[in-house]
Amino acid sequence: MRDIAELVLDVAAQAGAAYADCRVVQRQVQALSVKDGRFAEVTAREDAGVGVRALVDGAWGFASCDRMDAPSLEDAARLACRIARASARLRRVPVRLAPCPPAVGTYATPVGRDPFEVSLEEKMDLLIRADEAMGAVAGVTSHRASLEFVREQRYFASTEGASVEQLIVESGGGMDATATGDGEVQTRSHPNSFGRHQLCAGYEAVQAMDLAGNAERIGSEAVALLTAPPCPTGRMTLILDGTQAALQVHESCGHATELDRVRGDEAAYAGTSFLTPDLRGRFRYGSEHVTITADATATGGLGTFGWDDEGVAAQRTVLVDRGVFRGYMSSRETAADHGEPSSGAMRAESWNRIPIVRMTNVNLEPGESSLEEMIATTEHGVYLQTNRSWSIDDRRLNFQFGTQNGHLIRDGRVVGLVRNAIYAGRTPDFWRSCDAVAGPAEWRMWGVVNCGKGQPAQLVHVGHGAAPCRFQGVAVTAAS
Amino acid sequence: MSVPRREDLLALADSVLDRVGRQAAELVITEREHALTRFARNQIHQNVAESSREMRLRLVADDRVGVAEHRGDPEDAAERLVAAAEAARRLAPAGEVVPLPKPDAGPDAPVAHGPATASASPEWRAEQASAIAAVGAAAGLETFGVVETSVTATVVVSTTGNRRHAETTAASMICVARGQDGWGYADRHHRDAAHLDAVALAREAAETCGRNQGATALTPGVHRVVLSPYAVADLIAHLSDLGFSALAAEERRSFMRPGERMMSELVTVVDDAADPEGMPFPFDAEGVSTRGVTCVEEGVCRSFLHDSATALRAGVPSTGHALPMPNTLGPWARHLALSPGVLSDAELIEACGTGLYVTRLWYVRDVHPLRTMITGMTRDGTFLIQDGRLGRPVRDLRFTQSIVDALADVGGVGRERRIERDEAERALLVPSLCLGHFTFTS
Repeated sequence: MRDIAELVLDVAAQAGAAYADCRVVQRQVQALSVKDGRFAEVTAREDAGVGVRALVDGAWGFASCDRMDAPSLEDAARLACRIARASARLRRVPVRLAPCPPAVGTYATPVGRDPFEVSLEEKMDLLIRADEAMGAVAGVTSHRASLEFVREQRYFASTEGASVEQLIVESGGGMDATATGDGEVQTRSHPNSFGRHQLCAGYEAVQAMDLAGNAERIGSEAVALLTAPPCPTGRMTLILDGTQAALQVHESCGHATELDRVRGDEAAYAGTSFLTPDLRGRFRYGSEHVTITADATATGGLGTFGWDDEGVAAQRTVLVDRGVFRGYMSSRETAADHGEPSSGAMRAESWNRIPIVRMTNVNLEPGESSLEEMIATTEHGVYLQTNRSWSIDDRRLNFQFGTQNGHLIRDGRVVGLVRNAIYAGRTPDFWRSCDAVAGPAEWRMWGVVNCGKGQPAQLVHVGHGAAPCRFQGVAVTAAS
Repeated sequence: MSVPRREDLLALADSVLDRVGRQAAELVITEREHALTRFARNQIHQNVAESSREMRLRLVADDRVGVAEHRGDPEDAAERLVAAAEAARRLAPAGEVVPLPKPDAGPDAPVAHGPATASASPEWRAEQASAIAAVGAAAGLETFGVVETSVTATVVVSTTGNRRHAETTAASMICVARGQDGWGYADRHHRDAAHLDAVALAREAAETCGRNQGATALTPGVHRVVLSPYAVADLIAHLSDLGFSALAAEERRSFMRPGERMMSELVTVVDDAADPEGMPFPFDAEGVSTRGVTCVEEGVCRSFLHDSATALRAGVPSTGHALPMPNTLGPWARHLALSPGVLSDAELIEACGTGLYVTRLWYVRDVHPLRTMITGMTRDGTFLIQDGRLGRPVRDLRFTQSIVDALADVGGVGRERRIERDEAERALLVPSLCLGHFTFTS
């Protein structure tokens, strides 16, 4: 990998790059799924390539290729420089990069049990047991269980002297049980919806999910939802479980604090942000219970690494401090606009994508309450679990979320199941109404594997630490 | 931009299948040259190019399926690909195995291909971005957007005799214009970059932006609407995903009730991969020729899309709508088209009388799939319609609406259709629509 990067950087420098960096990525993915007791899939993916980013005449060019022979690599380096020169035709202000000491070192995800050393038989046995247990529940019409494992070697080098080698290992899994009838389709998932929950960890992360042990439960819950009453309509107390709290953080704080969105880099696609720089340090984003950080050093998160994809060391940044908006996730280029160092949030989906500002692990820091206490002190409200639908505007203000499961709360007790719950609000109003966050015992790292941004599209894996939390006076209703 | 010739790709595919032995095997090779120039605030800020080859091998034997995918050095790839697929197949549990499709004698045509796209250079893309920015600057606006070109060659070869090849091109331009207090949007997509007019695109975005200044809040509620083709594309794509697949029907999660009139007689939706007005492509990921399927005919639900798995269970031929197999997602529409009507956009607005004009929808997600209920926001230009004419701009609104219910109350369909691309990068051919009601919730 070093030889490849050295060749690419030499050619880029000769072709006129004032700065260049190179990423060599080798990725191995193993995906397994079992569906409805009759469908089984095992897929092995291998992916390797090189991406080179060059700064020429104050403008960027990027080229990538999956051929590792010298002529192909040299062509890619020269193409990046040619593209940069073309970019310079429409560039009024030259790119500036915040200073960063050249990174040198290695990093590897701490792994208990290497998932690629675990036999396929053991993995398939787990999936078959989980799938069978879901299918054994009367009324379940479709069920699926899946696992996915990633091993990615990344080498980053730059003309400034950076040289960083990283090994990232991810383990993920999940299952869904669906029941259909009487004009309704209801799905319950474990541990999270949209396919799977994933962590930077070894196979121990999958074992901790206890898929087989939760299969009957989610099957029964899906069937029960078919005949549950619709979620009531009105303004009420809302308690979110950790998975939904994680997605709420992702959409309404994570994306809103990406500095490239703030300056308009994503305006043509993902949008901008309501958190403009003039609000920093003085805008009340949430209540005093709300502290949100971007922490690439957190254990197990999908945004945990040694260095980001432009060689900036992993770090923890406070985005919201006891309710007050404090900071952004940034890159060297976006941080330079504000005279700051990068916060180390420059990430690329793979070798064939340019790094852009992405979430690392955006965490709602734990509070002092508990789910039990929150329910016990709620007079009239709902406790909602596991995301079902999500939508938010291009400035990250107006949101609407739906969840798979809902529990009605009356006078401090859960009194029944409700279905098709949705809630809506405006980001700062919502977070200002937060009056409790559960403590460290219920705080857990969650993984989002489908965070989309950028053109061409990039799906990046990000982490969110979260715990159950409570909000007052939220607009809640049922989709019907 | 160029990709290897048909003969070279087929020879590569044969060299991989030669390593397989006696198993049933299917190889899909996708060779792609892609470039995208991105601009913001009237200057280029990201500008990328990618060259890649993906190979996907499916092995089927002894009621077991193994799949391996490889992107990387081709010399090394073939050997590793076969070994990985065989290891996966050998260890997979026995399950439902669908035989590999046999050749259906369909032609490798028509294919969307344009010479100007294939020859587009970084300098050409920068010129187009500059032309867009110049229109914006002249109007005192900032522009943001994309100029994108790609060439893709796809080969599907199998031990059952399939030998399919198609080389396709695609070009896109997107422009978002920003003024002091509002935005405007325009996009264009075509097989041939020579058909894209950067200046006209920028003028449309600038004109919408110019009208969309000083928007005021509107009380949410139910309104008549005229949706531009940009918005209609989102509606039709979600309608398809919520019910056109035969797998959705099998699993009783499709809204479709074949033979029943569920929508206005002005609504006919087809998936037609051969439509020369769209972005034609002749076969699916199994090498099966993609047939035109009428899913909704004059408001009546008709047919489902099939891949070989759903077709086998239903006892019908595949319609050629497979994603890479095996998968748990089922068949998928890739060439959706809504039949045109007879009205111009001005006549649609006149027919609406009083209501809202919606330029674009954003972040559309399912809320209640069986009822085709979706939510999302309006974006980049929402205007009152008063007395049959476009009026003042209003702030973006959230909608929560059943698509089927909305399409049951159609006041008119535009006669001009545009190629649009959705988030999944598939092409749709759609006109503007006037709808009798659309529910805005916040």
